[in-house]
Amino acid sequence: METPEPVPDMNRRSFLRTSAVLTTGLAALAASLKPLMEMTDFPTAERFMQKYYKEMSKTDMEKVLKRIADDVEQQYGLRPEVRDYKPLNGVEYVYCLNLTRCIGCRKCVHACVAENNQSRSPEIQYIRVLKLPHGSLDIEKADHNYAPESVPEKGFFYMPVQCQQCKNPPCVKVCPVHATWQETDGITVIDYDWCIGCRYCEAACPYWARRFNFTKPSIPKERINPNMSYLGNRPRRQGVMEKCHFCIQRTRQGKYPACLEVCPTGARKFGNILDPSSEVSHILRTKRVFIQLKEEMGTNPRFFYYFDV
Amino acid sequence: MTSSSKKDLTLAALAAVFLILAAVFLTDALGRPKLPAPLPLVDTNFLSTATVRRSYADLVKAKDDLSDFDCYTCHEKGKAPPLRYDSRQNLIVAKEHADVVMGHGSHGRNNNCFNCHNETNLELLQSRDGRQLRFSDSPQLCGSCHGPTYRDWETGVHGRTGGYWNRTGEPTDRKACVNCHDPHSPHFPGRHPAPGPHGLHETADAPSTQPETHR
Repeated sequence: METPEPVPDMNRRSFLRTSAVLTTGLAALAASLKPLMEMTDFPTAERFMQKYYKEMSKTDMEKVLKRIADDVEQQYGLRPEVRDYKPLNGVEYVYCLNLTRCIGCRKCVHACVAENNQSRSPEIQYIRVLKLPHGSLDIEKADHNYAPESVPEKGFFYMPVQCQQCKNPPCVKVCPVHATWQETDGITVIDYDWCIGCRYCEAACPYWARRFNFTKPSIPKERINPNMSYLGNRPRRQGVMEKCHFCIQRTRQGKYPACLEVCPTGARKFGNILDPSSEVSHILRTKRVFIQLKEEMGTNPRFFYYFDV
Repeated sequence: MTSSSKKDLTLAALAAVFLILAAVFLTDALGRPKLPAPLPLVDTNFLSTATVRRSYADLVKAKDDLSDFDCYTCHEKGKAPPLRYDSRQNLIVAKEHADVVMGHGSHGRNNNCFNCHNETNLELLQSRDGRQLRFSDSPQLCGSCHGPTYRDWETGVHGRTGGYWNRTGEPTDRKACVNCHDPHSPHFPGRHPAPGPHGLHETADAPSTQPETHR
């Protein structure tokens, strides 16, 4: 904004000029601040002063969990059970997916959305099912918008892609505020209250597994899953990242993830790789062909695709 | 015109433009871009964890209608029902069993009911090695031919599991072969896929114009 040149004496002309400039500036400022009048989600002092996840004491966490439950109750009209599930000792999760069995029905996609309180409109989905022609694993040839009357289609196979829970995760390395990290059980988690929404991690992920909340997520009240966890499926705010977290609120209680429960063919297998009698241990020991997607990136995924041979 | 009055004129014009713009923004005179209509919610049928079929054990557990397994309301005890074949050695399925589609094995070679059913007691199954099995023990019958698959199933690698991966805690829910495969026609049936991702700028009245592969 222009400032009037300093004049030794205020005359009529310079007064008019100055006041015109001032009025314009104020009016423009008011107009530019107008969106603030529509803002409803002001951070409370409590949320603003909240500590980093790893620095919170037990009592701090209890307060935060109560604050989250209050927020959810106020917004959706039901009291959730919000907990902070810690990794189990002696457990490292591995996911195996049988490409011979997957029929591409996308039930996993929607079971995941229902379990993890993702926004329905606009749509956020953690799993993307790729349709690929037989005889190739070229992702460039994949299509995820297929909509035939019936699946599987002849000559194609289906490859669901979600967060691969890498052992060497590029997304964690690029986060400038350490809002995402790898836990001891192998799950890469996000502290939604620490995320600044810079989307570096989205750019770094070679599996297109991270999703950004461009707008305030909208979830119908009747579809809210009240079993919530701090690092998992509690409702997110606008402007933060989210992604698959192996259903922390289920798996850290010993349950299978929601995508596995709903899979009609049993193509999805999940378990503890440190337990030699688990399904995933059997698969990695006995199945002859398995791939890690984009192995050459050096990310070392904990998500394995295999075939029945 | 002097340079000073020119400057004043420019300033005044700029001030007017800014004021008009401010007024336009404050009163929403140009209107707002229309918000896209909310996307439809997915059919809850796609969220069901039910198996494709219900096994004999499931029916017993649910105290459901078991009349399909009550062979001797029609058949005569101790007498093997006769099998009839057409000229191409295809089994002619009696009209009372019209729901049975013979499709087990390739080239129609598995066309004898008594490859799996017990000839003399129709309420039992019989494996190739002669074991007589109840309907609730059908996985062992399947395993008598499909060895590697049975081995995978026993360890939980083939077929559906549910409940708890944590073996030390709650039980894991194992499904039987017939929960997914129709024993008479075991190929897993195709199904209608759940809706795919919606395009970013797609609305109900204006579907995405991008080519399918680039949406």
